[in-house]
Order: sequence, then C-alpha cells, then structure tokens
Amino acid sequence: MTTLSIVLLAIGTWGQRLAGMFLVGPALERRPLLASAANLIPAAVISAVVIQLTVADGKSLVVDERLAGMAVAGLLVWRKAPFIIVVIAAAATTAILRAL
Amino acid sequence: MIVLDAGTPLGTAWVASAVIFSATSQFAYLAVTGAGGSEAAAIVAGWIVASRFGILAVALTGIFKEGVLARTVAAVNAFDMNVGFGLQQPDVATAKRAFWYVTVAMMGGWFIGITIGTVLGDVLGDTKRFGIDTLFPAALLAIVGSSLRRTEGRIAGAVGAAICLILIPIAPAGLPIILSLGGVAAALTFSSPDRP
Repeated sequence: MTTLSIVLLAIGTWGQRLAGMFLVGPALERRPLLASAANLIPAAVISAVVIQLTVADGKSLVVDERLAGMAVAGLLVWRKAPFIIVVIAAAATTAILRAL
Repeated sequence: MIVLDAGTPLGTAWVASAVIFSATSQFAYLAVTGAGGSEAAAIVAGWIVASRFGILAVALTGIFKEGVLARTVAAVNAFDMNVGFGLQQPDVATAKRAFWYVTVAMMGGWFIGITIGTVLGDVLGDTKRFGIDTLFPAALLAIVGSSLRRTEGRIAGAVGAAICLILIPIAPAGLPIILSLGGVAAALTFSSPDRP
C-alpha cells in the first residue's frame, strides 16, 4: 500500500462524509428517488466485495474453507447475532476446517 | 488492521487504518489488489465502498442542523454504530448526546483494535491459519446485514453479488466490484413497479 493510495483513499472517505453532511443531505431532501438509490449503494457494492473475498482467487473462482466460514457468517447475520460473534465464528470455522 | 495480510510493515498498517478511517475501503482496496488489479482500480473500488459513509453523514443532517464545526466533526466521525444509536433517540438533544457518547467509545476501541491487530498479525505470522481472511468478509456482511433485510436492499445485494461473480473470471480485477453498482439500478427497477 503506497502513501499515495493511502492519501487518495483518505480523501475519498473523508470527502464523502463532508459532502454527505453539507451538500448531498440538504440536496436530497426534495429528491426521494436519488435518496433511495444512494441508500442502496452499500448493499450492492459491499455484497460484491464479500463475494470477491469469499470465492475469488485471482481471476478464478474457487470453493474452499472461506465459503464454509461465510455460510456460518450468513446464518448468524440472518439470526441477528452480535457483530463480534459473527466475525469470530466465521474465522473459527475457516481455521478449524483448514486445520483438519 | 487489514494491510497485515498484504505483508505491509506494522507502521504503515497503523497509519493507513488511522488516516483512511474506513475499514471497508481498505477491505475493498485489498480485495482488488489481492486479485491482481491495478492501484487505480483498487482506489476507485475503495471510494465507491466509502459512499456508505457519505450516506451515514446524510442521515446525520437530521440531528445536526446548525454549527459548521459541530457538523464537520460529526460528519467525519460518521460510522454505522454511532449514527444508528443517534437516530434511535426520541429527540434531537438526546440523539446528539448518544451520538457523541458512542463516538468516543468507538474511537478508543478502533485505535486499540488496530494496534492489537497489527501487533498480533506480526507475531502470528501466517494469519490464514487463523481464518483471518474470512474475518474481513464476515465483518462486511454483518455491516450490510440490516440493509439486506429490506426487499430493495436484498435485490441490490443479490444482483450486485451476481454481477461480481460473473465478471471475476473475465473482467480486469476491480471492475467486477465497480460494476456491481448495477445492483442499485436493478433494485430500483424491480422493487417499485409504480415508478415511471
């Protein structure tokens, strides 16, 4: 991770927070369609990142211990388990399967 | 916290987590570079994922209506947990107190957490043995869990994930995550037929 990429990522996250508070928030008050579109971005993009981290190995798709760990995570998120339980159970599942 | 997997020195990992201040952006960045994608694609993916914080800041405009300083500090500290607690309060004054209280508690936890994380990563060596590579996507899933409970969010998530899955073998790394934005369009199209 280069210094430039750290700086650029920081500008992106801080800038979007400030833009949300001072520009987008006030502007969205009268535009409900844009507001609901904005609200859906995290669901779409973070789900994609989850897929990438779960089944991708470079450009190939693989089924390995990560998928089992994420199945446990999915079940626990669905059952509304606390955040810390979800991450520990997922990592533990993957680790145990790798150790077998 | 995250960069330990990429073999980055401890100092860089700490600084990156403290400065970028968004674990999800770091996850996205690493997902793309880890798959062999370019720096530029990784940074764009990090920005798009960070839009979540912009949206949280938008939600805060209902609580923090005036005072440039208070609004600035509140905006740069917008995270899921403090915004969530704030929005659940019955009135604006209580909401502000709840927001700041959770913010202070979280910041302490964040910096202690990344210090422990970077040190542990250094000591443990091969973090894969401990399933650390599943810890990151599990954390992300827990973060979007609440929006996946609503029909629109579920469509956006499922279509976004499917787009990414199909594109991983054929598109340059990074592009599958960026194009998953198509899930938003799908959700808006399918979930409200009455819209023109």
